[in-house]
Amino acid sequence: MATIVIDGHTDELPEGTTVLEAARRHHIAIPTLCHHPDLTPFGACRLCMVEVKTDGRWQLAASCTTPVTDGMKIRTDSAAVKKSRQYAARLLLSRYPTTEAVRAAARTVGVAPPPRETEGHDCILCGLCVRTCREIVGVNALTFQDRGPGRALDEPVIEFRPTSCIGCGSCAYVCPTGYIRMEEGGDKRLIWDKVFTMVPCTVCGRYFAPADQLRYISRITGVPFSELTTCTSCR
Amino acid sequence: METLRFSSWDGTIVDHRQAASPAAAALPALPQVPEGAPVHALMGFNGLVVTDPAADIPALTRRYLTEARKLSCGECAVCMIGIDQLIERLAPEASPLGARGLSELKTLIDQVAVTSKCGYGQSVLFPVRDALSYFTDEFLHPAARPAHSYLSEVTAPCTAACPAHLDIPGYIELIRNDKCPASLELIRERCILPGVIGRACTAPCEAACVRNAFDEPLAIRLLKRAAADYELGHGTALSVPAPERREKVAIIGAGPAGLSAAARLRARGYRVTLFEAMACPGGMAVAGIPPYRLPRDILTHEIDLIRRMGVELIVNAPVETLSMKELASQGFQALFIAVGAHQGIRIGMEGEDTGAAGYLDGVALLRELHLGTPPPPSRKALIVGGGNVAMDCARSCVRRGVKEVEIIYRRSRAEMPARDEELREAQEEGVTIRFLTAPVKLLTADGRVTGVECRAMKLGAPDESGRRRPVPVTGSEFTLATDTLIAAIGQRPLLPRLLDEGLSLTASGTVAVDPVTLMTGVPGVFAGGDCVSGPAILIEAMAMGDRAAESIDCYLRGARPGMPVSFAPVTLAASRGRAFVAPEPAARVPLLDAGRRKASFSEVEGGYSAPEAMKEARRCLRCYRLYVWQTP
Repeated sequence: MATIVIDGHTDELPEGTTVLEAARRHHIAIPTLCHHPDLTPFGACRLCMVEVKTDGRWQLAASCTTPVTDGMKIRTDSAAVKKSRQYAARLLLSRYPTTEAVRAAARTVGVAPPPRETEGHDCILCGLCVRTCREIVGVNALTFQDRGPGRALDEPVIEFRPTSCIGCGSCAYVCPTGYIRMEEGGDKRLIWDKVFTMVPCTVCGRYFAPADQLRYISRITGVPFSELTTCTSCR
Repeated sequence: METLRFSSWDGTIVDHRQAASPAAAALPALPQVPEGAPVHALMGFNGLVVTDPAADIPALTRRYLTEARKLSCGECAVCMIGIDQLIERLAPEASPLGARGLSELKTLIDQVAVTSKCGYGQSVLFPVRDALSYFTDEFLHPAARPAHSYLSEVTAPCTAACPAHLDIPGYIELIRNDKCPASLELIRERCILPGVIGRACTAPCEAACVRNAFDEPLAIRLLKRAAADYELGHGTALSVPAPERREKVAIIGAGPAGLSAAARLRARGYRVTLFEAMACPGGMAVAGIPPYRLPRDILTHEIDLIRRMGVELIVNAPVETLSMKELASQGFQALFIAVGAHQGIRIGMEGEDTGAAGYLDGVALLRELHLGTPPPPSRKALIVGGGNVAMDCARSCVRRGVKEVEIIYRRSRAEMPARDEELREAQEEGVTIRFLTAPVKLLTADGRVTGVECRAMKLGAPDESGRRRPVPVTGSEFTLATDTLIAAIGQRPLLPRLLDEGLSLTASGTVAVDPVTLMTGVPGVFAGGDCVSGPAILIEAMAMGDRAAESIDCYLRGARPGMPVSFAPVTLAASRGRAFVAPEPAARVPLLDAGRRKASFSEVEGGYSAPEAMKEARRCLRCYRLYVWQTP
């Protein structure tokens, strides 16, 4: 167990609890864009910055990726914290000025978004889709690109591996900006740039899941494919 | 770079710009660029250094930012976008900055440093801040200047510490992003035996890891092993060599240096023949390193991949009688000598040369154990030495059923070269260690070793190796009974006869070569690996093999080999803007139970699964260090 002091409240928490989780226990609002309670923290958006003191000096840290340690002091509303969150929001806004999720996050830290004519749906590289695909779905169809000496990438984008994708749509569901589009029509579903054939429910006839997804579920659970062709409403 | 006009290197400001004649002040510890490249200014991780009035600092800053952008990953919101804003605001066509704009950019830099996710974003913009702070006029009143040329280099503390300079943050990032095959491809660019090095390297990179200052280093060696192990389960995609060239190259010695040179030369299209004196290839990796640290199927697999590239291998080759003339008559136009250092050094004690049974040379013992006919196990074995060969001998003796195994070392633990985990694992297996003890006389009866007379030592002043010199304690002699004494205090090369043909040796008995090209005094004859460096680690030999291949290629094409930039003098670990790093110890791998280890030569250490490797890779702080030089 770790004893911490967060904005004056003393608390005792299990090791491994993050500062963000500790703050939420005390109903301390911390803005986030890339966080999801069911996924490994990733630290992409830098909006959840707080100050921590473990060795005598205050240091800025991303609350989502920082575990509490015994004796840690945390403050979430100092001038340095506010300034760093505002800077992160300004930088995000400068790149994605029309994307609503970014604009909303900026407002929560006191930065006014610029006027816009139409709403944008940019990929903000938050990594929610990558982590959902890897940790929840378990198929690793999405990944970040890599940079390094000699790897001359211009703009980083999320890489899509069509051979791994099962068309489940979890990435589109979790995407906070609407960048990942999923379109359906008849027995087809389009996601990223891959077309999937949908399976109709044996009871109601509604196209409810891609065949690739049911095959994947059948493979990892051992349940025969034929027993998976009834939709959740009719089961 | 001779006269220093301005420097902010490592945080120390030196400003001679207003002096009538700039003092010939000592330059700070800069990366060494190849001779002949005049430099006006350097902007890099450690700061900004200006030596010529003609230097154009805004232009250098713009180039630095362009290069910096290429390494920014975009995985956090601030670093890449911040760099882009700086590029935009400092562009020649941008509206004038003004004092306010300049101050805003400095605040931006400070904020990127404190909020960036990784070590790269936290430190990369500080030299830009120095330029804005100390060359303010040049940014506020830009003047048209002639165009310059630039040279840029990227390193990292781990990369610079690795003898082969692997792109360690690069391959770790690929593992983190679930791309083991691409990671392995990147590793192979500088390390052709990744599974071997992923197991048997002493990992100087880990000693240099910046995380040492926070918790513990990345398990870099195990991550490399994970990439190599992934290939074992999923098949290889080793690149196909370039079209055949006419020239033939002979390599003597199929150890790490020879194998590495062979693979590189083959990849460049040369026809390569490896002559190996032993019955199988691998050099010290097969004759020295025991299978419990390096399973033979891993080594065989990686050597097979090199052979599949089209390298010809002749084992049991008559290396002793090969002559240069004969090789030339067979059409070989270049020769690389990489025969290693397989001859144990004598201790220099009384009775050593009587040929008593039970007195053994450590490397010879290992060679016999792994490749020949091992001697029958004795009741007790005493091993003299404190390096990895001594550890390998001791742990091999345990596995051969020797009941009592003791190492005697003349200095203390602090001076002992053996790695901590090696020592710990040996002790778990029952090996005991007697420090500050030196053998002085071998005791024998009827031509058999019966014991050894030893003397206690104490530590004196440091010697040329920097370690404290052991000094005998007078009157401290005592006797240890044993039927086997193994000398493992070092090795030297056993050179074949063709070295009589005009090659010279150094005072320590190694082959003398040009330190840059690795060419001996005889044109077309190169040498590398342990026979040049003396006993060194595998990756060092491989790095020399790579360099020899590059030199041989240049020699055969009539080109001059390019000199790499050396970061040896530079402090790469320090960081002005080091941010908070959440403590997280390295992921552990299972070790074989000590009781089971003693009964066989099975591999002791387990590896990471792909998910475990991805998790460990996330600990990397990504400490890329960028340097950009401005030249006329």
